[in-house]
Amino acid sequence: MSAYFSRHLQVLFSTLGSMRRTPMATINTLLVIAITLLLPSLLYVTLKSAQSLSSNWQGRPQISIFLQKSSSDSTAQLIFEEVQLHPSIELAEFVTPDQALAEYRLLSDNNSSLEQELAFLGENPLPASIVVMPDRASAKPENLIALKEELSNFDGIESVRLDLDWTERFNAMLQVFSRVSVLLSALLGLGLVLIVGNTIKLLIFNRRDEIEITKLVGGTDAFVRRPFLYYGALFGFLGACISLSFLLLAASLVEEPISRLADLYNVNALVHQVNLVEILTVLLIGTLLGWLAARWSVAMHLREIQPR
Amino acid sequence: MIKLSHVNKRYPNGHEALKDVSFDLASGEMAFLAGHSGAGKSTLFKLITRIEKPTSGQIIVDSQNLSRMRPSKVPALRREIGVIFQDHKLLFDRSVFDNVALPLIVIGMPHDEIKKRVRAALGKVGLAGKEKQLPITLSGGEQQRVGIARAVINRPNILLADEPTGNLDESLSNEIIDIFSDFNRVGVTVLIATHDIRQVERLGKRTLQLRDGELVHDGELIDTPQADSSSEEASL
Repeated sequence: MSAYFSRHLQVLFSTLGSMRRTPMATINTLLVIAITLLLPSLLYVTLKSAQSLSSNWQGRPQISIFLQKSSSDSTAQLIFEEVQLHPSIELAEFVTPDQALAEYRLLSDNNSSLEQELAFLGENPLPASIVVMPDRASAKPENLIALKEELSNFDGIESVRLDLDWTERFNAMLQVFSRVSVLLSALLGLGLVLIVGNTIKLLIFNRRDEIEITKLVGGTDAFVRRPFLYYGALFGFLGACISLSFLLLAASLVEEPISRLADLYNVNALVHQVNLVEILTVLLIGTLLGWLAARWSVAMHLREIQPR
Repeated sequence: MIKLSHVNKRYPNGHEALKDVSFDLASGEMAFLAGHSGAGKSTLFKLITRIEKPTSGQIIVDSQNLSRMRPSKVPALRREIGVIFQDHKLLFDRSVFDNVALPLIVIGMPHDEIKKRVRAALGKVGLAGKEKQLPITLSGGEQQRVGIARAVINRPNILLADEPTGNLDESLSNEIIDIFSDFNRVGVTVLIATHDIRQVERLGKRTLQLRDGELVHDGELIDTPQADSSSEEASL
């Protein structure tokens, strides 16, 4: 058993040695692998950061309750009190028709046609409304929809509008993004296998004499294959290491501007911090893809080389 | 040890390299394989080491039928046969030590044992102390001896040598053939392909003579016709 390990260790070191003997070619290959691995990692970190942004969303969804135009001020007051006492509601604000009109005027930026229409109507067409912010526990979409249904059944309430759009749209976008990322990563993984496979192919043909002579003196296929598998796995592993350092560098570069941007929007945005499990996963995927590529290349080309 | 019965070898281009060749080389025997270049000597070696397969006929090496041998068994066969190649087949980017050690490395021998054996083998062929040199820094004769050291390092039962004295002067040739005789004396079956008739005559061993793929003589070369001998010399 120890002989087996020492044999593998020997191949490992001799492969590292031959990589060092051709530094330019090795660095080239490693950089290509690193960049190919970097893209999916970047997509992943972006996605993770965006997901944390959506779950930490400070501006919780609002519910606007429009009262019937016919209801009197006292009825409106009663409804407001009832809504305020609802257990799922943290904050409620009463908006009188006059306030609503003032806000509307402000938002529509002294539009003269609006004034004309208002003059034509003769009275304020806006109803009284209550703007409600549900508590944190009820902020999930399904809870909000239930709350909306409940409020619609109140007497004196004309309609209830749930302002879910923002978070829903954001989450839907994230889903599209995540699908596209998975697809793109799979394609890049395939590309990686092709790149490493081709590099291994060149190595195999460069070492043609060695392979022939090794077979002549009784080297088994497994023996001849082993260094190339190590090449592939090492390429993948070292490429993944470089890729990870690029990733950490990229994360540290965008961290500051992102937090400044987040401050401006008053949200709690953070760049996703890569953890140990994720680092190990990248290393494992890199090594595995490299090994797989070598395995494939060796299966394709090693049989062609036989002693003459 | 090596038995051929009615072996034919035709290459895909139609060239018939061997025609109905049969002989039996006993264990521990030493023989020469003579003939012009192109007579089929190299093809014969390729058949014995399973680099090529015969078109028809049977080859038995160390009681294994090569026609029925599975590819996975070929490495084990080649470990039993030490081959010295006319073109040495050395790895020029590796040291003498690494070249000689290769047959031991492929069987996973521990490094200490490899070191001992390589030293012994290099001492035997007169290259002691040249372990660290690259083959390119050695003379043709020295390179040939590196090849011999590599062929014998794994203590094979069979030694095949293809023109081992190809372009060496007479004293060096004698030296190298004597190394093979030494191995034969300890029980190794030796077959040397050569067109160096001086060596054949000097040792007086059994000689298999090939001409255009046919075995035309099997036995000691006592009565070599003068014309034939000189034509062998001429082909040098």
